Amino acid sequence: MTALLRYQAALLARSQRWTAPLLLYAAVLAVGVQSGQPVLGSLGFAAAALLPVTAWAVHLCVGQEPPAARAVASAAAGPRRVHLAALLTATGCAAVLAGATTAVVLLVSSPATDNGTHAVSRPAAALAGLLAALCCVLLGAAVGALSTRPVLRRRGWSVAAAVLGSLLALVTAGSPARYAVTALVTGSRTGTFDPPALPSLGAAAVAVAAAFLVCRIAARRG
Amino acid sequence: MGHRYGLAGTWVLRGIDLALPARALVRVEGGNGAGKSTLLRLLAGIEAPAEGRITGRPARTAYVPERFPAALPLTATGYLVHLGRIHGLRTAEAKRRAGEWLTRFGAAEHARTPLAELSKGTSQKVAVAQALLAAPDLLVLDEAWTGLDTAARAELDRAVAERVAGGATVVFVDHDPRRLAGAADLTLRMGDGGVNRAKPSTATRPVPGPRVLIEAEGPPDAALPRDLPGAPVRERGTGVAPDLVRLTVPKPYSDALLTALLTARPPWHIRQVAPVDAAHALDAPEPTGPPGQAEVSEQAEVSEAP
Repeated sequence: MTALLRYQAALLARSQRWTAPLLLYAAVLAVGVQSGQPVLGSLGFAAAALLPVTAWAVHLCVGQEPPAARAVASAAAGPRRVHLAALLTATGCAAVLAGATTAVVLLVSSPATDNGTHAVSRPAAALAGLLAALCCVLLGAAVGALSTRPVLRRRGWSVAAAVLGSLLALVTAGSPARYAVTALVTGSRTGTFDPPALPSLGAAAVAVAAAFLVCRIAARRG
Repeated sequence: MGHRYGLAGTWVLRGIDLALPARALVRVEGGNGAGKSTLLRLLAGIEAPAEGRITGRPARTAYVPERFPAALPLTATGYLVHLGRIHGLRTAEAKRRAGEWLTRFGAAEHARTPLAELSKGTSQKVAVAQALLAAPDLLVLDEAWTGLDTAARAELDRAVAERVAGGATVVFVDHDPRRLAGAADLTLRMGDGGVNRAKPSTATRPVPGPRVLIEAEGPPDAALPRDLPGAPVRERGTGVAPDLVRLTVPKPYSDALLTALLTARPPWHIRQVAPVDAAHALDAPEPTGPPGQAEVSEQAEVSEAP
């Protein structure tokens, strides 16, 4: 598995296709996160924006091999593991991005509530922000995995499904991502917040189920 | 075992019950659309069958597609090292074997060339090298010879014989009926979604293929090593040279057979190696052969002496 992850990561790093989602994310953050703003609100914004970016990264990783190269790798390691390696590579990259972004937001934001009346502990905000970002990364990975090969093969449908899926994952009541982001935004208003541990577990369960399903389909359809 | 693409697709393969022997060369024949490639993809484990299952696939399985236009952002060696590691090799070992196989196929000067800049034939050499560098126990070749130059085709023939001699099962499809002619242990004929076994000795072996005669001499009273590569036709010398053995194998197997004889314990001495004219196959060696076959003819006298 390590070899497959190295292979996928090398392909992603050298293909430079990662620049587009990364630049988009940076642009969105530049607009939405300003220096000196309340830390929790900014963390919530940064986490929410990660969800579609992760879905995009999954699309890149799953689609970066030509069919012939994929067939060769599948014969060597099995189609399930090849597909899983692509999903894990994208999710891992997004998780690294989540960590870096959380650190930057913590550094530039003001540790206070929206109205400035209550102080917000930075370590508590860091933990809550990391968990919310992780939650969005995992759901984004699930959305990405379900909206590309081998579930949807046509590019147009694939992109439309990813955009729609990301939106729904952020706004649908009961979605772990919505819950986690809302917890941060509400906490920024009221000053009381808990790390969104339960939503993270929920998102992890969704991501594992989605990965299991698509890897099975990948083995069936090649 | 059966397979179809999509839940509503027509069955490409149906009711296939097949056991592939170890240490065997298996040829798959059939017209266009008979399901050859699908069968090979299922055997290689790239896809799972829609019904039934395939069991006992070796851990080291490699596949070579017909065309390998891999526009990947890696150099030839970089790609091969990655694939070697995926096959379970250590990095240093993968690097060493990558260089070795690229050299064998005459692509050593392209080791540092990005895959996207390789010619079609050189890309194919990389595809073949990735499969062989792992020394797989199941090697699946889907018209892997396509696009290779003559020297590389012959090298692939020999590499296939080497794998079979090493105990692997090699399954191949090739549009050229002379490809590894006379060397296949089993020929599968596909049609109407099914597979029929055809004995290689029957009409499915249209061309006997070029063969090589190896004359070897063992230590006194030594028996020939068991399981010699290529299942050589053997004739033991009598009278003046009782320890002399003449072995005839399909040409791709000659190197593997020589290796087996020379590395046997105790080793055998090689007296001579000569090509066999297809028309003068071993069953009818004539003392009055053409001048080029003088050595073969001479040998015929030795073995027929009382």
